[in-house]
Amino acid sequence: MPSKDKVHSAITSSDQKLVLSSLEPEQLAGLKKHLIPRRQLSGLEKFVMWSLRIYLLFMIVVVIYQVWASLH
Amino acid sequence: MNLGPLSRITPQPVPQDDVVITHEDVDRAHDRVRVSAARAQRGAFSKFRLLWLLVGPGILVMLGENDGPSMISYAATGARFGIGFFIPFVILTFCMAIVVQEMTMRLGSATHRGHAELIFDRFGPFWGWFSMIDLGIGNFLTLITEFIAIRAGLGFFGVPPWAAVGSALVFLCLAVMMHRYWTWERTLLAIAVFNLVFVPVALLTHPNWHSVGSALVTWKPLPGGLTQDTLIIVLADIGATVTPWMLFFQQSATVDKGLTRKDIHLGRIDTVVGAALAATAAVATIIATAPLFAHHMTAENFQGAEFAQALQPLIGRFGAALFAIGIVEAGMVASVTISISSAYAFGEVARRPHSLNLPVAQGKAFYSVLFLCAATAGAIVLIPGLPLVYVVLLVNVVAVLAMPPALVFLFMLANDREVMGDLVSPRWANILATGVVVFLTLAGLLFGISVIAPNVFAFLGGK
Repeated sequence: MPSKDKVHSAITSSDQKLVLSSLEPEQLAGLKKHLIPRRQLSGLEKFVMWSLRIYLLFMIVVVIYQVWASLH
Repeated sequence: MNLGPLSRITPQPVPQDDVVITHEDVDRAHDRVRVSAARAQRGAFSKFRLLWLLVGPGILVMLGENDGPSMISYAATGARFGIGFFIPFVILTFCMAIVVQEMTMRLGSATHRGHAELIFDRFGPFWGWFSMIDLGIGNFLTLITEFIAIRAGLGFFGVPPWAAVGSALVFLCLAVMMHRYWTWERTLLAIAVFNLVFVPVALLTHPNWHSVGSALVTWKPLPGGLTQDTLIIVLADIGATVTPWMLFFQQSATVDKGLTRKDIHLGRIDTVVGAALAATAAVATIIATAPLFAHHMTAENFQGAEFAQALQPLIGRFGAALFAIGIVEAGMVASVTISISSAYAFGEVARRPHSLNLPVAQGKAFYSVLFLCAATAGAIVLIPGLPLVYVVLLVNVVAVLAMPPALVFLFMLANDREVMGDLVSPRWANILATGVVVFLTLAGLLFGISVIAPNVFAFLGGK
């Protein structure tokens, strides 16, 4: 059970029992502070992510040009 | 306690003494108790009750995406092209939205983590910040257009712009100040159903059902052929259905609601029902404004309410007022969902409490981001002389362009066996998702070509 000093002041013991019996551990707000380990990206994954990033930047330039052209 | 797939890669065992129980947990636990009770009972009523308890994020995200700019895009579509190609096309875009949003619901149910949080943790801050910048800019621009829609819609009833923006901000405050996800969700669902007011408006125009049926089968006509204008409308209509904020919102709302892997089947139904309702409203809007095309009325500079005013001679004051109410509702609901999407993402990245179950005292940062985004966007709309419809269409276009990079993160997470366990995407879902990414990328590239080399379309047979 959680230690009393860490339990929020207005949370009763019945609340604690309810939470621990009805939520999955990973659903507890306090446990979400644990980071999930980072994954290693493969060469293909990096290539796709960079390609789409460049695509987005290029297309944003196109949109800005389109706005400029329509205003002139 | 059941351990989810993340238990394989998170530090285990988690010392129970480290667990801090919060109000957020208690509220969510109460909701889960009701779900468990409904699941334990047999009979059709219990099944319906279980569905009723679990629907929400899917319907809200779909009706939320039928937002101000989306409805204005559909209205512009009907006014410029009438009944034809765009009716089946819009239905196709909602099918794409189902494919994409199902993945976010499955991710949230399996991992109990928000989308922004998972991207930061699994791909690192470099890619995480790229994703956040896309989301932040996209959400802010879209929020501006929501206030444009609210201002235009209320303008039909003679409400001045400052009062329209002010009332939208008050609505936003009231919507999130319930400090309870369940109450917020049910209230917003009740309001979001008013998105369907476009259906009676469409019926008031006495549509030619033969033309509607023919368009659904043949995907024709497409007046004017493939032109740059047509492409902008194509992209705006895609952007009216699939946008980055939807990914972040539905996953975070799924987590906030407390869905688990047992709920995924009903989560899928929630998403499909939401898409069906939203597609109905979208098609109804195109049909509602199609008479403007038939009467050769130009709609290039229309705002939401101006569509209503233009329709008034055709469908009467009541029908026009319904249209304006629909535009206001669309903007109001989306201003709430998009602001919350930004606040969820901020909380997940900054590791601050982020839940609609939070009292204000415990969620100051969450609520501050929410209100600041909305208030700033609302203030910008009060600047006189903005080309509103052009801004609206462009925002939808930008949303489409930002989708492929966002979808790749989603695709990789949904196939990440370390976080999803046996809930990784099946092959058919991957094929569909890849198809959506390729389709959106090609649509964006086609738009780019049309801007850089507009003569290409004359070569292809357009104008």
